[in-house]
Amino acid sequence: MMPFIPPRLRKPVGIALAGVVFAAAWLARGGPLWWISILAVILAAARAVFLYWAGGQDTDVGALAGSRADERQKLVSLRSWALACNLAAIAAFVGLTVAIAVKATWWWPFVVILAVIGLGYLLGLSNYGAAEEGTPDDVDTGHQTRSPVNS
Amino acid sequence: MRNRAREQRTQRGLSQAELAAALGVSRQTVISIESGRYLPSLPLAFTIARLFDLTVDKMFDPDDEEADA
Repeated sequence: MMPFIPPRLRKPVGIALAGVVFAAAWLARGGPLWWISILAVILAAARAVFLYWAGGQDTDVGALAGSRADERQKLVSLRSWALACNLAAIAAFVGLTVAIAVKATWWWPFVVILAVIGLGYLLGLSNYGAAEEGTPDDVDTGHQTRSPVNS
Repeated sequence: MRNRAREQRTQRGLSQAELAAALGVSRQTVISIESGRYLPSLPLAFTIARLFDLTVDKMFDPDDEEADA
């Protein structure tokens, strides 16, 4: 992803772009809260600078921030994202339950979040091999598998 | 699972950073492997074993439960 950008710049650039898009949304909205767009740009710039600085550190966080993580560091990141996703699902479920109980009209965002998490999980299963059980070798060959010990 | 990474590295006079550079991983990962906190992937296990001119089963001993985390 983004191979044309040097690794250390990838995450800072991503954060900066997200900040600009978020700021543009506030500007497009207009009204008295337009200044939030400036705040968003400042916070995104600060976050981008921090990520660039962190990317130069000789730590696990630095390796992740600098997009040069090895297999263990990627595994740590993957587990962290899995935990974050689980917590998001629990929070969305609690939010939906509360919204239903108080007869609120803002229940549907929680349904959207839960649906996205569920669909993302299914997409992950199909992408990463849960459908690769295959057929048993005795079905392929037409012979029953036998233990060599008992032959 | 016990492994001989630290023993082999010190025998060859390598620092953790030098071994990490040779393996293409971070120094922190070398520390984790040596302490037994992280079991490397099969390709990395082969790379480590080859680097020290050992077989994988000589490098990593699954039967030794002494150092199991």
